[in-house]
Amino acid sequence: MTTVAKKKWHEWLITGPSFIWLLIFFIIPTMIVFAITFKPSTPFGGIGDGWTLNTLFSLRNPNYPAIIWRTVWLSVVSTAICLLLAVPCGYCIARAPKRSRDILLLLVIIPFWTNFLIRIFAWKVLLHPEGMLKQALVFLHLCSPDATLLYNPVTVLLVIIYTYLPFAILPVYAAAEKFDYSLIEAARDLGASHFRAFRRIFLPGISRGVWTAVLMVFIPALGSYVIPDIVGGPGSEMIGNKIAQRTFVDRNLPHASALAALLTLAVMVPLMITLVHHYRQPPVAPKKGKEAAQ
Amino acid sequence: MADFLVFEGVSKHYGEIRAVDSVSLSINKGEIFSLLGPSGCGKTTLLRCCAGFEAPDAGRIILDGRDITGLPPHERKVNTVFQNYALFPHLTIRDNIAFGPRMARWTKGEIDKEVARMLELIQMEDYADRKVTEISGGQKQRVAIARALINRPQVLLLDEPLAALDLKLRQRMLVELDAIHDEVGITFVYVTHDQGEAMGISDRIAAMNRGRIEQIGRPVEIYEAPRSSFVAAFIGDTNFFDGIVTEVMDGPYCRLRIEGFPDVLAWNDKGLLPGNAVHLSLRPEKFKIWRELPEPLPNRNLVQGTVEDVIYLGSHTKYWVRVEDYRLGLHQQHSRYLLDTRPITWGEKVWLSWFADDSCMLERYKAEDENLLVLPDTEAEPARA
Amino acid sequence: MKRSRVPFYTTLAVLVFFYLPLIILSVNSFNDSRYGGPWNGFTVRWYVRLFQDRQIWHALQNTLVIAVGATVVSMVVGTMAAFALNRYRSRLQMTHYGMIYAPLIVPDILMGMSLLLFFVALNVKLGLFTIFLAHVTFCVSYVAMVVLSRLQDFDFSLMEAAQDLGASHWTAFRRVMLPLIMPGIAAGGLLAFTLSLDDFVVTFFVAGPGSTTLPIHIYSMMKHGAPAVINALSVILLLVTFVLVSASRTIREKLS
Repeated sequence: MTTVAKKKWHEWLITGPSFIWLLIFFIIPTMIVFAITFKPSTPFGGIGDGWTLNTLFSLRNPNYPAIIWRTVWLSVVSTAICLLLAVPCGYCIARAPKRSRDILLLLVIIPFWTNFLIRIFAWKVLLHPEGMLKQALVFLHLCSPDATLLYNPVTVLLVIIYTYLPFAILPVYAAAEKFDYSLIEAARDLGASHFRAFRRIFLPGISRGVWTAVLMVFIPALGSYVIPDIVGGPGSEMIGNKIAQRTFVDRNLPHASALAALLTLAVMVPLMITLVHHYRQPPVAPKKGKEAAQ
Repeated sequence: MADFLVFEGVSKHYGEIRAVDSVSLSINKGEIFSLLGPSGCGKTTLLRCCAGFEAPDAGRIILDGRDITGLPPHERKVNTVFQNYALFPHLTIRDNIAFGPRMARWTKGEIDKEVARMLELIQMEDYADRKVTEISGGQKQRVAIARALINRPQVLLLDEPLAALDLKLRQRMLVELDAIHDEVGITFVYVTHDQGEAMGISDRIAAMNRGRIEQIGRPVEIYEAPRSSFVAAFIGDTNFFDGIVTEVMDGPYCRLRIEGFPDVLAWNDKGLLPGNAVHLSLRPEKFKIWRELPEPLPNRNLVQGTVEDVIYLGSHTKYWVRVEDYRLGLHQQHSRYLLDTRPITWGEKVWLSWFADDSCMLERYKAEDENLLVLPDTEAEPARA
Repeated sequence: MKRSRVPFYTTLAVLVFFYLPLIILSVNSFNDSRYGGPWNGFTVRWYVRLFQDRQIWHALQNTLVIAVGATVVSMVVGTMAAFALNRYRSRLQMTHYGMIYAPLIVPDILMGMSLLLFFVALNVKLGLFTIFLAHVTFCVSYVAMVVLSRLQDFDFSLMEAAQDLGASHWTAFRRVMLPLIMPGIAAGGLLAFTLSLDDFVVTFFVAGPGSTTLPIHIYSMMKHGAPAVINALSVILLLVTFVLVSASRTIREKLS
């Protein structure tokens, strides 16, 4: 065997397992989703023969625009709020003295590693109609005894922020930690105000971390399913809930596929924007990324 | 023994770039041989071909009569001291040094004995069980040398071994390296871009540029008799002149006409005839600077000029003197107590003298090599108008 | 230079926000009231009931079996993938990188949905095995990314040094490279293990009858009754998380 052929063979040998695994269990299933979108459904929860566009037309059902709109605004607003909180937090942790920095980091990482069902459930307990928070608010005359804190879109928003905020703080912190703070002093020396130095020097300096944070909040928020399912009511359903409902309750797989395909396309938009911004070095968006793992 | 390590027409290309361009040279047994040149001149590639990390596209490498061109690194009796030492961070100093012997399956007793001897050689007995991260740069350097030497290589390759150290430490390590060489007596091939290191430690130097060898010689030959403008400019400072022979004198001298400069007398070692073009290199320390016109001597050149810049450096002073169209750089040693004299300073009219024997005719001259000179140009244009 | 106090107060507020629900949850786990309403007195009976719940133990066992299996397979496959990505610069590796990267960003629900359709289309019986396949699929990407970042910091002149000192390519890999990137592989494995333990959404889609994992069990308890027992379970899981995270950080500090 020639050296080139040997090298090629070796490359395939170590690429093969992951390549083939992901081809079978990731690429092909994703293509099936798109394919089934154009298949008719049968009344017994199966998939019919032939091809049809009926499923796509049925997405015009008046319920859907409202759900899609809600999904988008909840994701956008939660991403914005997460960033607004993550940037000062990341900065504060990066600038703290060594000992307090370790403690602060630990305090952010623990929720990050905690099972997310439990973190959602904690809010259900906290906001329980007979729970301590409710009683405290009623006692302080901040809300009426009949008000429900649970089961509305604002609660869903709150819990999305709660769930994904650590995923925003950690990449911002990782970028802020590497930032050269003498640049801010230089900017101040050259006459920039606090705010201008922050906006013109610090933010561009940590942009990679900020974009990672956007991906890490926005994309999972778009696909939220458990959060609205547990703390949301009928008026706060998101696309994820519809997908699950069509799959498990109605057994209408083509319909569920169409929604999933729609969601996939929606995810592509922010992803492409980020990839264009960071051509060659796409920010890694692991849910529990290397910042925490290492 | 001559011809111990021989490179025969070795070439290495990376795409269009010729990193090493048919280099042939022969290294003697037991000498310290330096490959000296600017970054990108191919010296490291040549070294890596010798270590076996790169395969040359053409040519042969012969060590002690045996062709080693195609051997993998671990089958060559050659060891390398890497630029950043490449010490294994997960092992202690002792285990780093013992790595090679363990690979060669020496007995445990032999390994322990040799490691102890090496630790003594580099004076690091007390650090044997430390981690690599717990020792200083100079110590890492010594461990890297011991780790290579313990394998009793026929040739030790050193790739910019002192580049990561600061100036003072570099000078100390250079002396230590020389002492270690005296102790073990094997052949060293030393790659560096620092002419001071190469001059200080080498028995012979190969000056390299653009993948080719410009000149091989003892340090004093390279410095005093550079063959090309590249060697003259890269190793030390110099002044270049180009002129035409007008008259061949009795004996070994000739007279040159240089445009924009007075006629000069030069040593005619190349046997040039009237009308031949010539390039001349004249080192700064060959000049003597005078306030009053000195007594003329038959083989001494004498020109008058104006001091344009002065840099006082303690042991000596650098002067830049305008002589017609030329701006000459020269050094003046201070052998006397300077406060008792009135040093020559900026703006003074002075006389410069040098002996015709002290200039050197170049075989090859390229104008771009003048960029290698570190003379400052106050007028932001080349010295010659 | 005077620094703004805003970041400090924001951080303080965020930490309160993070921990307030968890603290209330922990307090409530000792509340002798079935639905976590007003304080009814101190009790440990939810903990006792938790330990008597056979279903929970069964679910935990399923979870651990899947997590261990998925971790081992994804560590091997992911590490190989990272080596390939680090070593070769080819069109194949660009595609490969895209395939590794995509599962990291696709929402769980899409992955769960597509795998469900895939298994249904192939008539594969849903159960522990399908959950295992699904978990390996997302774990491989995480392991590959963590190991890759470690490999990118690896100084390849160490490999040359080892070969120069007489090690063959394979020995140099085994004696020098592997020990140095082992922490990366271990970190990737730990990540894969936790992700597998925690995963609910993907598992929910590809689980079949009798293949209940702990997160699925928690979810069904949340949906239908027994919230007080979940409080107790949550506190235990929180403690385990806390101990594991602190321990891994301490060990890492000791090592470096």
